Amino acid sequence: MPVSRCVIVGGGAAASAAAASLRGGGFDGSVVIISAEDVAPYARPPLSKDFLTGEQVATELPLHPDEWYAANDVELRLSTRADSIDPDGHTVVLRGGERVGYDRLLLATGGAPRRLAGVVSDRVLYLRDLADAEVLAKRMVPGEPLVVLGGGFIGCEVAASARKLGVEVTVLEMADVPLQRVLGAEVGAVVGDIHRDQGVTLRTGEMVESVQTSGDGVLVSTDHGTLECATLLVAVGLTPSTALVAGTGISIDGNSGGIAVDQYCQTSIPDIYAAGDVAAHDHPGYGRRIRVEHHDNALKQGAAAARNMLGAQEPYADLHWFWSDQYHHNLQLVGRTEGCDQTVLRGSLAERSFSVFSLVEGRIRAVFAFDRGMDIIGGRRLIRAETPVTAEQLRDESVNLKRLATPGRSGT
Amino acid sequence: MNDALSTAPASNAITTWTAAMEEGELWEGDMSGVVVEGTNVLLMNVDGQVRAYRNRCPHQEWALDEGDFEDGKLTCSRHLWEFDALTGKGVNPTDCALVSFPAKVENGTIWVSVP
Repeated sequence: MPVSRCVIVGGGAAASAAAASLRGGGFDGSVVIISAEDVAPYARPPLSKDFLTGEQVATELPLHPDEWYAANDVELRLSTRADSIDPDGHTVVLRGGERVGYDRLLLATGGAPRRLAGVVSDRVLYLRDLADAEVLAKRMVPGEPLVVLGGGFIGCEVAASARKLGVEVTVLEMADVPLQRVLGAEVGAVVGDIHRDQGVTLRTGEMVESVQTSGDGVLVSTDHGTLECATLLVAVGLTPSTALVAGTGISIDGNSGGIAVDQYCQTSIPDIYAAGDVAAHDHPGYGRRIRVEHHDNALKQGAAAARNMLGAQEPYADLHWFWSDQYHHNLQLVGRTEGCDQTVLRGSLAERSFSVFSLVEGRIRAVFAFDRGMDIIGGRRLIRAETPVTAEQLRDESVNLKRLATPGRSGT
Repeated sequence: MNDALSTAPASNAITTWTAAMEEGELWEGDMSGVVVEGTNVLLMNVDGQVRAYRNRCPHQEWALDEGDFEDGKLTCSRHLWEFDALTGKGVNPTDCALVSFPAKVENGTIWVSVP
């Protein structure tokens, strides 16, 4: 049966890229985006960085200009919640009862910040969407101390933005260094030093026990003592938004809590796909389901899901890649470090210019680069080509990584 | 749209050309950052055709000569935005473009016109 109606639930990067991919692929049926947000899809990465510091404003964030939707005949239904799905009837039920039929459905519902149980206060904030960022930006004023709970990417980026604005900021992290889970202890320590150099009070290995709020402040009690602040930002991760699939029989990935999809981004129910932060995708390169919470993945996976909704049958196999900007530093990671049997450092941790290569049996699987984007560009080529490399080659900065990946050219 | 045409001066204006580099210094497949009349310019030799762009990524103003130029594609090293080196149009994402300046090769010299 030909596909004549594609419905996308969600209003973020994956949804936006999927709509563009449907039209780019020549699909001339109807495309509907159902988004609970009250603004058209926008870029989230600046929300913790340039948007907070005022270097970027809301009008610079949309992923497509407003007129794009009409020009591409994409029906954008904002401030609209989807409450349930009837897979047998190929129908999405909206809040209020309206039923929207589909031939192919994409779930790009993203996620919501993990919240502190039992704490409700306008001084305890979370950061996920533009509205959250607008509230946080107003609270980032010198003289109003900020505590950030969680030393992950969002926590670190908000701390960096706070320092740029001259705001006193403390980061509380359970692990020994920030970003430890993703980057490991050694690199995490470098990131920690950078934040301390910039005036962040970084308290690691510290567990929050309770949070009390009053009209004029927040009292955070940890296993090391207490801490007062004007604003508490809770940045302790994301819960995938899967409420919509309850009762549909769509499989959930037990490890990540995301909607389980196959290599083609299809869920366990035909004609229903998922992409972006909510999707636990069976990546052909990794042999297991992985849920990724990064902008680039949302864009590429959303586009790939859309191609498959139209019958392309192409596995989504792009290397995972993300970046983080903190102060004037640029951090990037391509590939995945898990299961690696060797790591090699190129450059110098002390000089804060380095890359870390993670290998399996002499082939690179992941590259982390600190202010070295060119190592990512060369490294991803080596990952894709599965070129055998030695630790000596990677350590030797006179070896051009790009050339190493190109057969027939000398590595030096 | 042809970038050279789109930035061509009105008929009564005079284009001011500034020598930016010797032709022989910019090999095919090479790029180089230069300063022309106070403007940061990226010169590229794309299969024998010379192109001049503002040497800043439209994303976050990062210098493009610190990126990668391969197979007709320019990649910014900061966030991996990609551009068609011949046209300056965004490849990934598609809804952006480099700022292009008129460029020509005459008497062994690359000349650029910056506004």
